[in-house]
Amino acid sequence: MKSKKINSKKNKSSNFSKLSIFQPNKYKFKKTCPLSSKGAPIVDYKNIKLLKRYVSENGKILPSRITNISQKKQRELSLSIKRARNLALI
Amino acid sequence: MNNYEHTIIARQDTTASQIKQIKDKYSDIILKNKGNIVQTQDWGLMNLSYFIKKNKKGNYIHFKIKCDGSLIKELEKNEKLDKNLLRFLTVRVKNFDLKTNYFLKDNKTNEK
Repeated sequence: MKSKKINSKKNKSSNFSKLSIFQPNKYKFKKTCPLSSKGAPIVDYKNIKLLKRYVSENGKILPSRITNISQKKQRELSLSIKRARNLALI
Repeated sequence: MNNYEHTIIARQDTTASQIKQIKDKYSDIILKNKGNIVQTQDWGLMNLSYFIKKNKKGNYIHFKIKCDGSLIKELEKNEKLDKNLLRFLTVRVKNFDLKTNYFLKDNKTNEK
């Protein structure tokens, strides 16, 4: 038991050592598009669960500067959201 | 020949037999005009997010069709006149994904 605890402490300390003031920006902000990576969900007008994440409470489409979606995917999204609206899904 | 996804919404107070009639009617039109029905999905009675012609809910029927563009014109011409339908939507797609049905789970929970 004791040895395990020590190990965990060691791990923690090693994690802290990685954090420094001089680290590059990419560790601070996650600015990749969540829909462009491999294995990302397909943008489709039937996939309401996905579309609802990118719509405000009033039903407006959220701008890509807030959601960090790439320009190509944002175009796809806005088209499929409009289709879903027409079918009264959103 | 193109691939189309075609969805229609029927009124909330249509009975099950009427929905079957509607389904048969439009699949007949498709087959007469040399179209291929790849798949049909019944999404069932779902809540509309806003009122359409004083309807709160709607019966959704979804077709996946392989046909020419002239058939879609014919279909939509008939659907515009149909009083049992609220809306329709056709979308051209490159490939069908026949596996996923986003609305299956909702139906099961409703039945339970």
